[in-house]
Amino acid sequence: MFLSETQCNRLYTNEIAIKRMIKLKINNIETQVENGTSVLKAAEQAGFKIPSMCFKEGYSNHPSCMVCMVKDNKNGKLFPSCAIAATEGMDIITDDDEVKQSRKEALELLLSDHVGDCEAPCQPSCPANMNIPLMNRLIAEGKFAESLKVVKEAIALPLILGYICPAPCEKACRRGQIDSPVSICILKKYVAVEDLKNETFYLPEKQKKSNKKVAIIGSGPGGLSAAFYLLKLGHDCVIFDKNEKAGGTLRYEILENQLPNEAIDKEVEVLIKYGAKFQFNTNITKEIFENEIRKNFDAIILATGNYEGSVIENFGFESGKSGININKDTYETSIPGIFACGNIIRSRRMAINSVAQGKIAAESAHAFLNGQTPEAKHRMFNSKFAKLLEEEFEEYLKESIPENRVELENGKMGDFSMEEAMLEAKRCLHCDCRKIDNCKLRIFSDEYSADRKKFDFGERKIIKKYDQHELVIYESEKCIRCNLCVDITMKNSELTGLSSIGRGFTVEINIPFNQLLSAALTKTAIDCVESCPTGALAFKK
Amino acid sequence: MRLCEKEMNESIINTVDQIIAEKGITSNAVIPILQAIQEKFNYLPEDALKRVCENTDITQSQITGISTFYSQFRHKPVGEHIIKVCVGTACHVKGALQVYDSFKRTLKLKDKEDTDKNGLYTIEKVACLGCCTIAPVVQIDNITYGNVETEKVPEILDDFILAKNNTETSIVKTYQNNSLVQGEIRVGLGSCCVASGSADVKNELEKTLANNKIHVDVKHVGCVGVCNQVPLLEIHKPNMEPVYYAKIKPDEVKQIIQTHFRANRLIDRLKNQFFLFFENMLVENLPQTVKRYASDHRDTPIAEFLNGQISIATEHRGQLKPSDIEEYKKKGGFNSFLKCIKEYSQDQLIEIIRQSGLKGRGGGGFPSAIKWQMVKDAKAEKKYIICNGDEGDPGAFMDRMLLESYPYRVIEGMLIAAYAVGAQEGIFYIRAEYPLAVQRINEALAICRQENYLGKNIQGTDFSINFKIFEGAGAFVCGEETALIASIEGKRGLPSMRPPYPAESGLWDGPTLINNTETLALVPWIVRNGAEAFNQIGTKNSTGTKVFALAGKVKRGGLIEVPMGTTIHQVIEEIGGGIANDKQFKAVQIGGPSGGCIPASLSATPIDYESLEKLGAMMGSGGLIVLDETDCMVDIAKYFLSFTQDQSCGKCTFCRIGTKRMLEILEKITRGQGVLKDLEILEQLAESTKKGSICGLGRTAPNPILSTLHYFREEYLAHINGTCPSGKCTELITYSITDDCIGCTICAQKCPSDAIPLNPYKKHEIINDKCIKCDVCRQVCPEKAVLVK
Repeated sequence: MFLSETQCNRLYTNEIAIKRMIKLKINNIETQVENGTSVLKAAEQAGFKIPSMCFKEGYSNHPSCMVCMVKDNKNGKLFPSCAIAATEGMDIITDDDEVKQSRKEALELLLSDHVGDCEAPCQPSCPANMNIPLMNRLIAEGKFAESLKVVKEAIALPLILGYICPAPCEKACRRGQIDSPVSICILKKYVAVEDLKNETFYLPEKQKKSNKKVAIIGSGPGGLSAAFYLLKLGHDCVIFDKNEKAGGTLRYEILENQLPNEAIDKEVEVLIKYGAKFQFNTNITKEIFENEIRKNFDAIILATGNYEGSVIENFGFESGKSGININKDTYETSIPGIFACGNIIRSRRMAINSVAQGKIAAESAHAFLNGQTPEAKHRMFNSKFAKLLEEEFEEYLKESIPENRVELENGKMGDFSMEEAMLEAKRCLHCDCRKIDNCKLRIFSDEYSADRKKFDFGERKIIKKYDQHELVIYESEKCIRCNLCVDITMKNSELTGLSSIGRGFTVEINIPFNQLLSAALTKTAIDCVESCPTGALAFKK
Repeated sequence: MRLCEKEMNESIINTVDQIIAEKGITSNAVIPILQAIQEKFNYLPEDALKRVCENTDITQSQITGISTFYSQFRHKPVGEHIIKVCVGTACHVKGALQVYDSFKRTLKLKDKEDTDKNGLYTIEKVACLGCCTIAPVVQIDNITYGNVETEKVPEILDDFILAKNNTETSIVKTYQNNSLVQGEIRVGLGSCCVASGSADVKNELEKTLANNKIHVDVKHVGCVGVCNQVPLLEIHKPNMEPVYYAKIKPDEVKQIIQTHFRANRLIDRLKNQFFLFFENMLVENLPQTVKRYASDHRDTPIAEFLNGQISIATEHRGQLKPSDIEEYKKKGGFNSFLKCIKEYSQDQLIEIIRQSGLKGRGGGGFPSAIKWQMVKDAKAEKKYIICNGDEGDPGAFMDRMLLESYPYRVIEGMLIAAYAVGAQEGIFYIRAEYPLAVQRINEALAICRQENYLGKNIQGTDFSINFKIFEGAGAFVCGEETALIASIEGKRGLPSMRPPYPAESGLWDGPTLINNTETLALVPWIVRNGAEAFNQIGTKNSTGTKVFALAGKVKRGGLIEVPMGTTIHQVIEEIGGGIANDKQFKAVQIGGPSGGCIPASLSATPIDYESLEKLGAMMGSGGLIVLDETDCMVDIAKYFLSFTQDQSCGKCTFCRIGTKRMLEILEKITRGQGVLKDLEILEQLAESTKKGSICGLGRTAPNPILSTLHYFREEYLAHINGTCPSGKCTELITYSITDDCIGCTICAQKCPSDAIPLNPYKKHEIINDKCIKCDVCRQVCPEKAVLVK
């Protein structure tokens, strides 16, 4: 129950009261709950979900997070719904603007004191938003095939990009502040190379066949990427190219000593195995486009490269200064069912941009083919902080190894050995949050569109990581001071347990007498981690 | 070495074991145990804490949480002497931070260091020493220095060493039992009087009188309230109006008495005609600073100060010896209580309180009768009563004064309330920072037990109750009822959501009546004089009187008790004698960190609960700080925010982080880096913190911001445009020397940062890059040639 011990005692001494039903109004709807039910639960029972972080069934919690705020409609006062019992005749509003604003502001205050990354900085800096830290961890464990799967979720052409990508991810890598960034790009190439050594290389399972056909015009990085994901989504696709071989600029503009044609051939081979059809030496004139392609295909993806001076110029698409006009979120052109990606939108972008756009264009085409309106892909709320402080290097290295970056003699043309790859991958600092998918702070911040920088006025706190525990890691500056873990260790009579230390803004949850985390959490580790609303307490793996 | 450590450990263990044996092993003994450990070791050695966990029910988590929550507790050894720089409101507006910095400079302490290299001194800021009328105040161990000026700091340290090495021999006691007593000399011995030197005056008097066999009572009375004129001697003789001698300095008394009492001839005369002689002597040889007034002179500062005041909580002020129960009884003490238990039913009594209109004096103004009724109606095996003396407001010392000066009155009020609600156990919750109050209440409780005003079957009736003291360990938030209860129960002082109210379920889940000290002190008078006598004083909705600590830029500060509804103007001009130093009255800060600033233009406002709330201020517990043109309102808001931010318990988001962010915005503005958008964010955050915090601390913390934004927005805008109109915010001001400079070189000699080159007989100049804005040059300049802009 949500009740304080005093409330509980009072109620249990009065059995008649317990069985009584309470009538109240929630959002102007009459509802009935058992006496003793919190407003939070009462609202939930009436079908109104209220966000809450610091509340846990069975704990007499002082409300702390203030995210479960509701309004007493009779006096206009706000109160935390987890801590007040429903009483007869209450009139509660759970979702008006004032309530929402208050919750949002509570979240923004919590965020201003929450020092941690949701996604590791490398990931959002990758145009394809690849889950780089996960790839690294799998490589470090020698799980190369699994690692490649992670790569191919975001990047269809890891081998090619392994040669030529300028790796913006590595510029964002926090390890770069300590010594040099993790060699992400070559690691990615490594798993691709390993995969291609096999006779049956990795082809992701396809979705159910849609019997829809998509024409892709241009076999450069954008077109090839689009093809890969369209195939994966269950569509047939035909790639048209004016040249005799696939690759576009990859093959015809980039020098062989930067990107060997063999690499292009290999990844094209993967696509062919996966089901892509190519039609080379085909110049798409306006006439062919209108009379054949538009008639014979259910959707079209334009990936012809530079717009200026190309035939597409007189196809009649809306265009701007740099290229064809598209919806920046969905890559739809002005004509329904026709999508565009790569340099046709804006020339001279990195190949990784074209690859990333190819995937989005494919997904938009997929939505279109299913009769839906393509929508912008929602990017979840992302907590982040600026640079590491020098005193934090040591904390971050706790989850890594001190070794220097493995440098290859011939740079990007070279390949790691297995040992080198595993060693290099182990250098990753695990900046990404372990609770990236179930952190309540992230979920609610996303839901309430909280602005993490709104109260960014002071110095941030210094990150500490406590990892001396078999299962658990504690990152104190991700903690929102809800005190649940303290209560859990106390209730379960941990000898040491966790404690609130200090007062006010400087209060932190930590281990009495600076003991080890393993001493604090002996029998309550799992409960504490599962109850922690943020990534402060998390399982190491 | 090992042996040494081992011996030390053994000594810790033995001490801790003794303490545990005395305080008990239950988890609620944690605060008293920690206080006792700190008393022994001056800090809390980790081994001691571990020992406590081994041998009691107190857990590691609990002891860690508690010992780091309350600011009384220290985890590191401290220097031999502790320098407490008061940063209460009155001290703040008179330059406490510059004094603090000056101590740090003198002791050569770097940024975060608090103890000097030799381990002689540890310096700390304290919220309020309650000596607001002689601000700024510094306490080194037990010696208090008032009116401290930045440049006097080295002198003070020298003086302290001198005083420490020169401990006075034991003091001769008073002559109360002598049959030839012809009158009495009263010396106020409240904390602030003592801080002003009254103890020394008293000691000198007693010693001299004893040595010369003069038979006269030297009576230690409680706080006189006329804090602006202390040390104050009152000479009372039969059939004559009393005479006051004000502002006597101890060394002056010594000088006077030594000069005139040395000759035997004089002593003989004194034996017979002491008073006349004593008086003449004092008048003739009075040093210039000492003022003599007869009490029947209406135009003296003392008479003016007392005029317009009504003494209820402070009844018989300056006349009672605090721990003398006989005297209290002679003046009608305990009659009210006896009448209650013998004649009134509980309901009749509550009805009297209801009709009196009494409201809680702790700040909220909740009608006392409703609270009493709730507790009385609650059904429970055991009920409690708590006297809330956890007065933590910087700039307020009413509770301290009442507890120190009228312990029996507060006890009687509490007994009456206990009877009315049916409580069986009572607790005085008093801040540990008020040692004299704790001592006086302790003495008074012991005497009450002896005389059966406490204990079983009190005065032959069925009514039984006992009171004890719980010393708060330094947390402003514990003034909040639910946090106060948590702290008695041995927990961190975190407020909890109400309902349930303490009246239904409070201490140990029992119905608990918590009343503020002043509220309880009013009760005996109400019972004795009737509800009507009380509700005719004050206004319709705010009846009776209110005690205020009047301080700041007013000529006569002190402790005042005025009828509710007295206007701000009356208090400042008539009682306080107007603004000091010919400055312009700007605003008055009422209610401390929960209150607000009311501008001079609204000084016709009557001081009562409703009027103040309408203006965005609050009665609070009664701090009344007068501000003049040199006070910066943004700085005042920042001052209070830094207080509440520091005192937030840290539980709920809005208070824990919101107050911090608001403070940061104010800091940004006072640094001259603010932008208009910041005001918008500040205002919005202030509103949401007000709405979104759990307890009164957070809900009222934005008041100082909101009220100054409302009445003094132009000052915020000026800061955003890069100027501090009052010349307070150091980052926005510069010091310069005007043509009035006579080249006396004092400023150059005193400048701690070598920012003024020595230039005898010529106009001096300040090198701005070196200037640390410590204000010393301005203070020492005899020509007032230092300009701050």
